[in-house]
Amino acid sequence: MSLQQLLLRSSRYLGASSSSRRLWWSPLLDTTSKVGSWRGQSSRSPAHWNQVVSEAEKIVGYPTSFMSLRCLLSDELSNIAMHVRKLVGTRHPLLTTARGLVLDSRNNLQLRGLVVLLISKAAGPSSVDASCQNYDMVSGIYSCQRSLAEITELIHTALLVHRGIVNLNELQSSDGPLKDMQFGNKIAILSGDFLLANACHGLALLQNTKVVELLASALMDLVQGVFHENSTSTKENYITDDIGISTWKEQTFLSHGALLAKSCQAAMELAKHDAEVQDMAFQYGKHMAMSHKINSDLQPFVKEKTSDSMAFNLNSAPVVLHQEFLGRESWIKQIGEAQEKGRLDYAKLRETIKAGKGVTSAIDLCRYHGNKALVALESFPPSEARSALENIVFAVTRFS
Amino acid sequence: MASCWWRWRRCCSWRLAARRPGPGCPGRVGSSGTLSTAGAYTRMPYFNLVKSLKSTFPNVYRISRFHHTTPVACCCSKTWSGEKYIDPFKLGWRDLKGLYEDIRKELFISTTELKEMSEYYFDGRGKAFRPIIVVLMARACNIHHGNSRDVQASQRSIALIAEMIHTASLVHDDIIDDASSRRGKHTVNKIWGEKKAVLAGDFILSAASMALARIGHTTVISILTQVIEDLVRGEFLQLGSKENENERFAHYLEKTFKKTASLIANSCKAVSVLGCPDPVVHEIAYQYGKNVGIAFQLIDDVLDFTSCSHQMGKPTSADLKLGLATGPVLFACQQFPEMNAMIMRRFSLPGDVDRARQYVLQSDGVQQTTYLAQQYCHKAVREISKLRSSPERDALIHLSETVLTRDK
Repeated sequence: MSLQQLLLRSSRYLGASSSSRRLWWSPLLDTTSKVGSWRGQSSRSPAHWNQVVSEAEKIVGYPTSFMSLRCLLSDELSNIAMHVRKLVGTRHPLLTTARGLVLDSRNNLQLRGLVVLLISKAAGPSSVDASCQNYDMVSGIYSCQRSLAEITELIHTALLVHRGIVNLNELQSSDGPLKDMQFGNKIAILSGDFLLANACHGLALLQNTKVVELLASALMDLVQGVFHENSTSTKENYITDDIGISTWKEQTFLSHGALLAKSCQAAMELAKHDAEVQDMAFQYGKHMAMSHKINSDLQPFVKEKTSDSMAFNLNSAPVVLHQEFLGRESWIKQIGEAQEKGRLDYAKLRETIKAGKGVTSAIDLCRYHGNKALVALESFPPSEARSALENIVFAVTRFS
Repeated sequence: MASCWWRWRRCCSWRLAARRPGPGCPGRVGSSGTLSTAGAYTRMPYFNLVKSLKSTFPNVYRISRFHHTTPVACCCSKTWSGEKYIDPFKLGWRDLKGLYEDIRKELFISTTELKEMSEYYFDGRGKAFRPIIVVLMARACNIHHGNSRDVQASQRSIALIAEMIHTASLVHDDIIDDASSRRGKHTVNKIWGEKKAVLAGDFILSAASMALARIGHTTVISILTQVIEDLVRGEFLQLGSKENENERFAHYLEKTFKKTASLIANSCKAVSVLGCPDPVVHEIAYQYGKNVGIAFQLIDDVLDFTSCSHQMGKPTSADLKLGLATGPVLFACQQFPEMNAMIMRRFSLPGDVDRARQYVLQSDGVQQTTYLAQQYCHKAVREISKLRSSPERDALIHLSETVLTRDK
């Protein structure tokens, strides 16, 4: 009982603090010149990703802690935390995921939620619905859109956790005792399901069947995308599937684009914007996610100092493009040449790929999607939220 | 004595209902005042329950001797005198033709392997217990309300969705339990590996959510979302064990409700909402589903001790091997307190499983659990009897009895 009271009180406290935080930020927001000047500056000096994200977070009102309090403080999650602690010392991937959730939360994990909030703010209230519902707007974002942003993060994280299940019959002796890995699987499934159940609960509360359908189909896409990713990731002799860039794009849309695209669309639906606005939001989400993914695929090839032996994904955009330019046979030959005693020399293969056209055309592809995202944004009225969305695109399409 | 038993039973079921007053349950929330007072009240019966349990268990045994056959006989004779025997499965199946084909259509995707995996259990060999209850309940509610008796398309969708949610949870449960066979065939995780199996479960769940959203009814969405939450919470309850002997039984019943009965109760409620606007009917449908669901699981737990693995299509004593103390064990523990230690260590020492099994078979744990299941069935029959008479309603009454007599 006392715990419940505590939770209730703390949630109330956070509710209050969220509005006070907004007040704290609001002077910053009022001086739009700041945002404007920063934007002007951004075209000259490289805006760093973290800077873009933290500026964007200010715009949406309060720093984004998407995992709802309800979820974070529940018995189930503390139960999970207790069990995850037991896994320390084993090699179950759930540990890495859990660590990532804590350490990496500034970078990619909450990006989806942030984009949903920004696009909600950029679109504003629709003309149809200007009279009602305004009371639950904070910083120009409806509370239902905030819930949606949270649901988007929950779904993304759930699949992230489920991605980390291991096949018990493929374990190496170096992985540690079978029992530990079994236990890790169990906890990973349960915690992923728990996050999904919370997402379902949140969706039901939105009371909008179209939004439920959109997010359910996004989950369906995401599962398929992850399934492709899993089945292409581990292959003998490092020979990858012969997929062209168009198949790669389809699969990447499923695994990386669909959730963001459909969540952006759903955010418009929640504010009762028409089909055209919904489509533009979808396009922004889709193309931004694609260029973001290509950007991260490119990192091993464009970073100044990559530790040479660092492995990279053989199904990443630059490698797939490289393969397409080269032809299947020469590619298999190159992989063979980069292998020594059954181990792949990534440093050598990286140099080979860098010498080809794969990297530059991946950069082009990244910019192509970035431009598409910017074009979609043009249909939204100019605002600081729209600028932040543009800056996110600038940050992922800049290679220097 | 009987009244004492019933008080305990009622407290218990009320606690289950009151602790999770989900959205769209006006009956339950209303009956206990505002939400906050409901929260305060739930503590009370909980402690009463703990206190009364010790004294109640011996009573159960004695009543069960006394009543063992009479209630079943009386409710049978009331509804079945002079009526032709209708097999509920035959009656329900009329509205379920093409059920599995339709489910497979929901799962249509281009990824062939994922498709094959998610269709694996929709092979038409399952009992389709949940869809049968759902369509029978749909017709019973439609007739009660004076609608056309036919099952509406949206109500039939609920039958599909219930089976899909059930199957998705089976796929995940089998990975969690590291099970190797189900319904007489290998489990998905054994054939394709855990990494892919978990995604197949997620995929079936997402397809079910899509179908649910397409019905286009926000109340129905909330009702079935409750099921998904309960399934996960039930799995969490299974993870922990209660040290306090008396809490153990409440814990077990709560888990049983969440893992099995919630799906049946809430899908019954969903079809009643679609077929009839009267909240009283919704509550009847919910209570019927809940009580039948708990009885169903109690019998399932009994069969884990009494049936041979060939009949069940899955290995027996499975629960003990997983470290779970189900109804028969908890009752047996009343007679053989030395089982306490085994329960606490989740039957993890060599020989524990066999010894516990012997204790259970020597005790009257099996009879006690069966008797408890009967009580839940009677409650279900009492609830459903409030609906206007129809062949489907009577089939639901009959179905609750087949739950008790099934051997697989």
